Amino acid sequence: MIPTLGLVGILSFYPTLKGIILSFQNYTVFTFNRIEFIGFDNYIEVFEDPVFPEIVKNTIFWILFSVLFQFLLGFSLALLMWKPFRGRGIYSGLVFYPWALSGFAIGLVWSWLLNGQFGVVNDLLMKLHIIRNNINFLSDPKKALFSVILVNVWYGIPFFAIMILAALQSIPRSLLESADIDGANSITKLFKIVIPYIKPTIVNTILLRIIWVMNFPDIIYGMTRGGPADSTNILSVYMINIAYYESNFSKSSAVGVIILSILFIYTTFYLKITSKGEFEI
Amino acid sequence: MKLRFLVLSLLIFLFSFLIAEEITLNMIQVFTSPLRTKVLEKIISDFEKMHPGVKINLISPPYETAYQKIYLMVSTNQPLDIVEVGDWSLSSLASMGKLENLEPYIAKWEDKKYLLPGVLDSARIYKGTAYLIPNAVYVKALFYRKDILEKYGYKEPPKTVEEMYEMAKNITDPSKNQYGFDFRGKGFPTAFIDLIMTSYFDDIDPSNMYLTKDGKLIFEDPRAKKGLEMYVKLYRDTAPRDSINWGFDEQVNAFASGITPLLYQDPDTLGLLKDTLPKEKFGIAPLPVGPSGKAYPTFGFAGWGITSYSKHKDLAWEFIKYFNSPEVNAYWCKEYGALPVDKRVYDMDPYFNSEFFYGWKYMFNHPEIYQFTAYPLANEKWGEWNNLHEKTMQKVLLGKMSIDEVLKKWADFWKKAGLK
Repeated sequence: MIPTLGLVGILSFYPTLKGIILSFQNYTVFTFNRIEFIGFDNYIEVFEDPVFPEIVKNTIFWILFSVLFQFLLGFSLALLMWKPFRGRGIYSGLVFYPWALSGFAIGLVWSWLLNGQFGVVNDLLMKLHIIRNNINFLSDPKKALFSVILVNVWYGIPFFAIMILAALQSIPRSLLESADIDGANSITKLFKIVIPYIKPTIVNTILLRIIWVMNFPDIIYGMTRGGPADSTNILSVYMINIAYYESNFSKSSAVGVIILSILFIYTTFYLKITSKGEFEI
Repeated sequence: MKLRFLVLSLLIFLFSFLIAEEITLNMIQVFTSPLRTKVLEKIISDFEKMHPGVKINLISPPYETAYQKIYLMVSTNQPLDIVEVGDWSLSSLASMGKLENLEPYIAKWEDKKYLLPGVLDSARIYKGTAYLIPNAVYVKALFYRKDILEKYGYKEPPKTVEEMYEMAKNITDPSKNQYGFDFRGKGFPTAFIDLIMTSYFDDIDPSNMYLTKDGKLIFEDPRAKKGLEMYVKLYRDTAPRDSINWGFDEQVNAFASGITPLLYQDPDTLGLLKDTLPKEKFGIAPLPVGPSGKAYPTFGFAGWGITSYSKHKDLAWEFIKYFNSPEVNAYWCKEYGALPVDKRVYDMDPYFNSEFFYGWKYMFNHPEIYQFTAYPLANEKWGEWNNLHEKTMQKVLLGKMSIDEVLKKWADFWKKAGLK
């Protein structure tokens, strides 16, 4: 017990505590030699930033659409791969490979693919006569957020597929066979047997993904750095920009603590609502 | 047996003594790339050959995390003797008190008289003291595609900002995927915005890009509005819409592919273009001047400093001196793509005498037109400024904010930051 606590304490609680302390100080590269407590100044500065409401709105959109489509498409993919077929191993390997890549690298590659001037995607759409003019995926503020969400969906589908496929494979065959005997159709089987059976996996995976997606600046940072004009700026990218552009680690920590608090409240409520007493943390 | 043991012990003792005698200098670079590391290693190995018993241990962290590593290393006094520092981070590192004041060394340094004018002044941005010696400088010039301009009937590159705008506008034809100006929308566009905007002024303070000589903030001057209007026009009328999201890579790519034949860039671009574009297809001209007849470029630089707690400061200085000697400086700048800091190199080495360097040489030799001007890099708000500048400029380009609004925002920012 003590070694576990010690390890968790060093690796998790200490950095969190340090981050919280930092958010109440004036820790920038210019003030290494005169760090002092400044109360809630960093938080006030963040909340008073005129772009903060837009960043929060973007963050909600980013999480909602990313996770929704990752889940729907990941679920569909898992259902398709549930039944054995020739070459399933190779096929699943190919399908799952985006998950193995670095988010930042994915962002960089996709920013070239979606480039409005010399991007492959525009070129393909043009050659297929689907579009007449190039689409400014990342430079039009109305499209930029959806473009980065699209890439995030592409990246996140495999995770849902892996988790749900594993859960599907644990459903006893006998259960589905008896449903067949009773004359249940596919839709009934899906909603009455499959989904209830794998509900804990779905609940857990969505919970995890929402936390990860909120804390996942890599793709946006690689593609737009939150631009143009903050149209793709989300809380985690905002946090990184403050740390690296402004070298203000305290204000950046304040944003980190805000993210942490939101996630803490969300997790508590989410688990309360989804478990209804049967699922505790 | 005993004798053999004795001889062996003696040899081990001598050997370990020799090892102990070897001095190791730890050196860290910031702008790491495979090419750069190779060139640096060659210079280091030559220095080691000239100084038996001296070993230089080069630390090459990835650029993105390099400064964090340096901050961490120097704040905990980890073994480090020679530190690379870029101009934009010099003040923050110097303010930590971990960089050695190099003025006593410079006072005794004979070659200092050969440094390009203004280079040492740029290095003295923090409290008027030099904490590093620049090893190369970066100055923006106008890269232009000769072949494309000729196709549209232009034999010469533009000499003024207005001329450049007209030229770029005439060339622009989105249906042919042909545009004029190679715009920079993201990833530190500060210098690009300022080069156009300040060219409308004839009285910028040489020690501060954002003040006029009589100490007024430029953002509150009507000429700033005129300059910024031109910058917005360059985007709206002559650049691809997508370029609001372009950084360095996209800019160079668009230039090399001919989509945008007019590009403001630093000499490291030349290093990249050498391999991708036949040399007869492009040229490098002095920066176009504004209606004031002037332009205000700035010296970008990186250089080597010495940690204040280093045990081998004199040796570290020896290395810095060696690095800035004309031959080594020429080799470094040629391979890496930068402008040498030693004036002699421009005449000594035919490479730096080639037509590609005409634009830069012209700017260095005409201080009445090209006033090399410093940024307020020592201001603690400089980093925040870059973030704000980029984001608010994007808002103006997208029509979400007016030029008047943005100028007021910028003026307020700098007043709050204590510039005036």
